[in-house]
Amino acid sequence: MATPDTEVLPEVPVILTENEQLGKINSDYTERYGFHDAENYLYKAPKGLTRQTVEMISDFKSEPQWMRDFRLKALDHFLARKQPTWGSPMLAEVDYDNIRYFVRASETPSRSWDDVPEDVKRTFDRLGIPEAERKFLSGVGAQYESEVVYHQVHKDLEAQGVIFTDMDTALREHEDLVRKYFATIIPPNDNKLAALNSAVWSGGSFVYVPEGVHVEMPLQAYFRINTENMGQFERTLIIAEPGSYVHYVEGCTAPTYSSDSLHSAVVELIAQPGARIRYTTVQNWSMNVFNLVTKRAVAYEDATVEWVDCNLGSKLTMKYPSIYLLGERAHGEVLSIAFAGAGQHQDAGAKIVHAAPNTTSNIFAKSISKDGGRGSYRGLLEVAKGAHGAKSKVVCDALLLDEHSRSDTYPTIRIGENDVDVGHEATVSKVGEDQLFYLRSHGIPEEEASKLIVNGFIEPITKELPMEYAVEMNRLIELQMEGSIG
Amino acid sequence: MASVVAEREPEFLAARRERAARLTETLALPNFKGTAGWEFTDISALDLEKFTPAPSASNGAAPDRLFAPENATELTQVDAGEATLSGAELPAGVIVGSLEQAAREHPELVERYLGTVVSSDDVFVARNDAGFRGGAFVYVPSGTALEHPILLSQVQSATSTELHRRTLVVIEDGAQAEVWEQYLSASEEVEGVFNTVVELVVSENARLRYVCGQSLSERSWIFGSQRAEVGRDGSLEWVAFGFGSTGGRVRMETRLGGPGADARVTGAYASHARQHIDFDTTQEHAAPNTTSDLAFRGVLQGRSTAVWKGNIIVDPGAQKTDAFQESRNLLVSKRAHADAIPGLEIQANDVRCTHAAAISQLDADQLFYLRSRGLPEDVAKGLVIEGFLSALTERFEPGPVREMLAGALERRLGMILAD
Repeated sequence: MATPDTEVLPEVPVILTENEQLGKINSDYTERYGFHDAENYLYKAPKGLTRQTVEMISDFKSEPQWMRDFRLKALDHFLARKQPTWGSPMLAEVDYDNIRYFVRASETPSRSWDDVPEDVKRTFDRLGIPEAERKFLSGVGAQYESEVVYHQVHKDLEAQGVIFTDMDTALREHEDLVRKYFATIIPPNDNKLAALNSAVWSGGSFVYVPEGVHVEMPLQAYFRINTENMGQFERTLIIAEPGSYVHYVEGCTAPTYSSDSLHSAVVELIAQPGARIRYTTVQNWSMNVFNLVTKRAVAYEDATVEWVDCNLGSKLTMKYPSIYLLGERAHGEVLSIAFAGAGQHQDAGAKIVHAAPNTTSNIFAKSISKDGGRGSYRGLLEVAKGAHGAKSKVVCDALLLDEHSRSDTYPTIRIGENDVDVGHEATVSKVGEDQLFYLRSHGIPEEEASKLIVNGFIEPITKELPMEYAVEMNRLIELQMEGSIG
Repeated sequence: MASVVAEREPEFLAARRERAARLTETLALPNFKGTAGWEFTDISALDLEKFTPAPSASNGAAPDRLFAPENATELTQVDAGEATLSGAELPAGVIVGSLEQAAREHPELVERYLGTVVSSDDVFVARNDAGFRGGAFVYVPSGTALEHPILLSQVQSATSTELHRRTLVVIEDGAQAEVWEQYLSASEEVEGVFNTVVELVVSENARLRYVCGQSLSERSWIFGSQRAEVGRDGSLEWVAFGFGSTGGRVRMETRLGGPGADARVTGAYASHARQHIDFDTTQEHAAPNTTSDLAFRGVLQGRSTAVWKGNIIVDPGAQKTDAFQESRNLLVSKRAHADAIPGLEIQANDVRCTHAAAISQLDADQLFYLRSRGLPEDVAKGLVIEGFLSALTERFEPGPVREMLAGALERRLGMILAD
């Protein structure tokens, strides 16, 4: 008798048609991204974190009292919490005393590239940011060290009431909106790193899309660290009102130094009924950056949230974009792609919580480890009591390109409702000529199945980003496609 | 009484007990969420102070058995009393008996293996090391193939007692055996702590089938640390049934230590009321060309909860590993809750490791179909659940082993579905 079971996909090994392709990833990082500029800064905080550091940041920004209180309370949470011991042993190497918590490179965010300081502009030119803006984007933000140095959004979007600005400006100009939603998804005591961000946050994006407005081309933010032992703590909040749509893209890079920097962002997404938010990250920090990020979204009824999370760079990344499906028929998708090379640990993943009936979700994770790198998938799929009719599928595939590398998969499934349908599949395999041959010589249904999954996820939004810095991500997505097509 | 036993013990065993007793003083009970591996099982309601050591004499009634393989050599122990041996004669050189007795009669043999498979750094293992009485020892010398199965039974009959069950099975090079073990409570009234440590040694080219089922009272706690070491070209088939107990946690670990070693692990649990079941499995591939295949299925009724946590570990150099793990849960009641936590930790690149986990409901269409054919709802449910579990029993060839496993599952299902 057939079991009353979830549909089980046949396992789908990923086939690399060209191993060498992967060898090129970040092989030219130093020339492309690893350079640094001279530092003609307005202010550079001394290393270390104290109450004075937090008050100084708040003073610099002339913030309202409630935000200052919020920061100080968050600092208490940060100091009270122990450094996490799960995830990666590298976490023990984070030295909070050897980080600069605030560096100001220019006065206020400029709306013209001409007004951006010369060094900084050259950097973004080199990274292709202004170029991309003209061609493919609805708006651009560029953050350099602690603050956003440039911001621009298409006039017609502004006319429709779309707000896309840096978080500091948003706090000044849209205080009511910020106060209503800020830290409502990720409270300051959520975890140690979220507490740290809450205490010293600076920069990041604020996006507000009014009801029914579709932002057709992506909004982009680019984050750049320039100085050594920098701590970057941007804070991003996206609110999509009912029936609206927005695609937000972020990229990041940093110079290569011999001692470590810390990037710890907090990102909150709110998808009101019927809204859709897609959030794409191309993380390519240099090999001396600890990237410890908290990202969480809520989706109300009929809303959709999609995280496309691509991790190429950093020394250690720990990041698990989450989606809480709070309204009936809400839908969540996560595509997580990680590449771990020498000395890297990518501890990435996804969390989805079904908290309303008939909600659906998919998680697809691909990780590739080579040259001693470690790629980990860590995930949670939870169906709360009362979320009947929930459906979810989790598919993880990992590739190990040599015998020195490591791959881990830690998917947790928690189910408190019997009327659900969830499944998880994971495969770790070697790239084998025989598999390739096998797939090529058969018109087998596995390929079809996998193609459908990938297409179903990627469509109808264009899967590729035309930005230069997204080339690697596109290549890795492509890889998945090639694998599934055979 | 205990000291009299201790005096007759060989030096090495007395020394082990003493070391372990000292260790128990330094090891605290695991703290829910505060101790790695215990994130899903809360034992704060357990107060060990309320339990006395299992008595050496008792007169409990014989409980229903879970398994009764035919022509078996049987070793049965009640509480901490003397074990009795009955049934089929054993070939020369084969030892089946109480572990304590074996330690006196074959000290060099027991010393060579005891404690080599399960390490003592866990509080429950240390308590077992220090306090086990009797226990079971099965030894099959090189080249000997047992014709008939061995049945080990441990009954807990005295309430408010803590029983440390210890089992050591050694299958020497090229030998073969089938060992069944069952943990039972004398009645549903028994409120006990049942703490089992099992060590399985499967040497080169040896084959072992080991079936271990527990049907303890639902007022009892169960803690288990069970581990197998499989040598070159050795083969282990391990079956675990978890039916009874109110809560606790059982670790089942297999280490494939020699090239060509193979393990096949099959587990089932069926819970109801407020039971909590926790199985934590590990398949460690420590040598090249090793294979493992693990399948667990659970059926949850009432407000019961279950967690299965499974890890496949591939050590550096264990190339050509082929590992699979699968966990599937069927929630029969709206208030049941299941967690599945599969894990892969891979440090070799020429491997094939796959896992799957699913938690699902009774299929409404199947139920409707059966009911439209005139079957009452409970019968229809039973058929669908049997279908779900048949994927486990079908891992065994048709024959007496499959029948006995299917029979035990069927009896348990009948019980939880009667709620």
